[in-house]
Amino acid sequence: MNNKGMETHMPTQHAPSRFLFTLLAGTIAAGVLALPPAARADDDMWPSLRKEVFGTRPIAEDDGVVIIDAPERAEDAAVVPITIRVPPSVKGPLKSMTLIIDKNPAPVAAAFKFGPAAGEGGGERRMSTRVRIDTYSNVHAVVETADGKLHMKKVFVKASGGCSAPAPKDADADRANLGKMLVKSTAPALPTTPLREAQVMIKHPNTNGMQMDPISRGYIPARFVKDMTVKSGNDLVFTAEMGISIATNPHFRFTYANGGDAPLTVTAVDTDDTRFTGQAAKETVSQ
Amino acid sequence: MCTPSQLKEVYRPEEEATGLVAAALKQTTSRRGLLTGALAFSVAPLVGWLPASAATNMTFSEIAPGVFVHQGPHELQSPQNRGDMANASFIVGNDSVAVIDTLGSAKAAGDMRAAIKSITDRPIRYVINSHMHPDHVFGNAAFKGDGVQFVGHHKLLRGLDQRAGSYLAGSKAMMGEDAFAGSEVVLPTLSVDDRLTLDLGGRKLELEAQSVAHTDNDLIITDSATGTLFLGDLLFSGHIPTLDGSLRGWLALIEQLDRHEPARVVPGHGPHAMTLPEAMGDEQRYWSTVAADVRQLIKEGRSMTEATKTAGQSERGKWEMFDQYHVRNVTAAYAELEWEE
Repeated sequence: MNNKGMETHMPTQHAPSRFLFTLLAGTIAAGVLALPPAARADDDMWPSLRKEVFGTRPIAEDDGVVIIDAPERAEDAAVVPITIRVPPSVKGPLKSMTLIIDKNPAPVAAAFKFGPAAGEGGGERRMSTRVRIDTYSNVHAVVETADGKLHMKKVFVKASGGCSAPAPKDADADRANLGKMLVKSTAPALPTTPLREAQVMIKHPNTNGMQMDPISRGYIPARFVKDMTVKSGNDLVFTAEMGISIATNPHFRFTYANGGDAPLTVTAVDTDDTRFTGQAAKETVSQ
Repeated sequence: MCTPSQLKEVYRPEEEATGLVAAALKQTTSRRGLLTGALAFSVAPLVGWLPASAATNMTFSEIAPGVFVHQGPHELQSPQNRGDMANASFIVGNDSVAVIDTLGSAKAAGDMRAAIKSITDRPIRYVINSHMHPDHVFGNAAFKGDGVQFVGHHKLLRGLDQRAGSYLAGSKAMMGEDAFAGSEVVLPTLSVDDRLTLDLGGRKLELEAQSVAHTDNDLIITDSATGTLFLGDLLFSGHIPTLDGSLRGWLALIEQLDRHEPARVVPGHGPHAMTLPEAMGDEQRYWSTVAADVRQLIKEGRSMTEATKTAGQSERGKWEMFDQYHVRNVTAAYAELEWEE
């Protein structure tokens, strides 16, 4: 696809297609996995991916608005820690943040839309999560600032087998605790600090339809946390739409506006439409 | 890296065989009163160290009458070691032989099988896998066709089967096609729900399924005749322990091991034989240190990535393979302990 001359500004939000998040059919997944690595390792997926997710909107790369931290080589491809950072020099609210793992079967790992309680700067804003990476791949973070502009940073991660790897070390305990949520909010050293940090953890296998069931010899059906809403008091911090690339036991650590004693509440829904809720303990952890 | 509790010196290969048997018999009969005369007679000619013969280049030490242990080097899998980088054992009874762990390839296990056949003509009836890891199971294929039972923890089948693809690909990548040729996943045919006794004739093996520790499918085996306890990878010595189960579960299990009062223990990685409680000391210190450091870092709000840089660094220099496994251990420990409230 040649986009030259078509870089017109699109004012409407271009929502990534559901397919980019999810890959539900085990048969399709198996087909993807069956490809020899060489068949999909060489070509650059980004031009077509960016078009599907962001249309023809221009994206500024390496302009210092967004930084992405990831290990050069993943210790465990099924649990790769990724941190997206927006430095203090960037002022004003952020609209959205999208994490894309180019070579994963469903490349969009998560799309966050920020609300008024996400904070407007005054420090470094961060979002960390843990993802599965199926094969050596570029990982893209795209941040949309208040002016509607897109900013992008990419990093190359060496990892393989993250999507088919059966991550849980203690599968029975994990299943027994499915839906357990732990929410922590950390009070900053000074009450006047603009941002504070919180952590949301959900016990969930986040099966992606690509793991084999040893008894039935079939693929374990995909079941994963797809939507999450985080609020500080009554104000939205962010909503997240997630795909199968988020690791087992979804984990998020993020900054948000320091709203004093306002409780942090989390609602999450998985693909079985099971709802999970959690709230930060009143006793906040101090640094 | 040898520890003071290493037992090699007790059963030195150059010692005169009959004297050694007598000493061993005296020790075990006085301790356990279980060794039969028939067994003593049957194993007596076998005792001693096995030199490499024309049939095999794999050496086994007889650490107790009829109990043979091969010590693998502390390395990653490679074309050179062919997955022979863990300990593997066999026990000879009056009627049959049981193998405990089969190393990491069919070729390495083929050598092991040849070594067994050069020592005894009794049939190999049981192949026991102490847990699912490739360096303990991928030699199973070499024992197929003998009418053997493959024995494991009741969760071994699921654990191994789920990981079969990545284990096969990983081992092949590390060892190369040639060294790994003929290796395959052989699933257990006899599963241990809680306990199981295998009668080898004149001696019994007590198999006990453990709760989640090194993995979720750890099995420990006691030879009744000699009081030898095979701990699999619940015991590492010299080689850094690796976590693929539960840190809290492992520490709890270490606390309970003393009740077995074994005459000796055989680690999954480390010397041929050791004694409790000293054998567990280093491992217990390592996991306690990692747990304490990780808990403190979680309390301070440090991330998993930050934790991997500092937690347990006081253990550096005390273990072989530290750089290969420590960060992974901290990552696994963090992922478990962060759920503590």
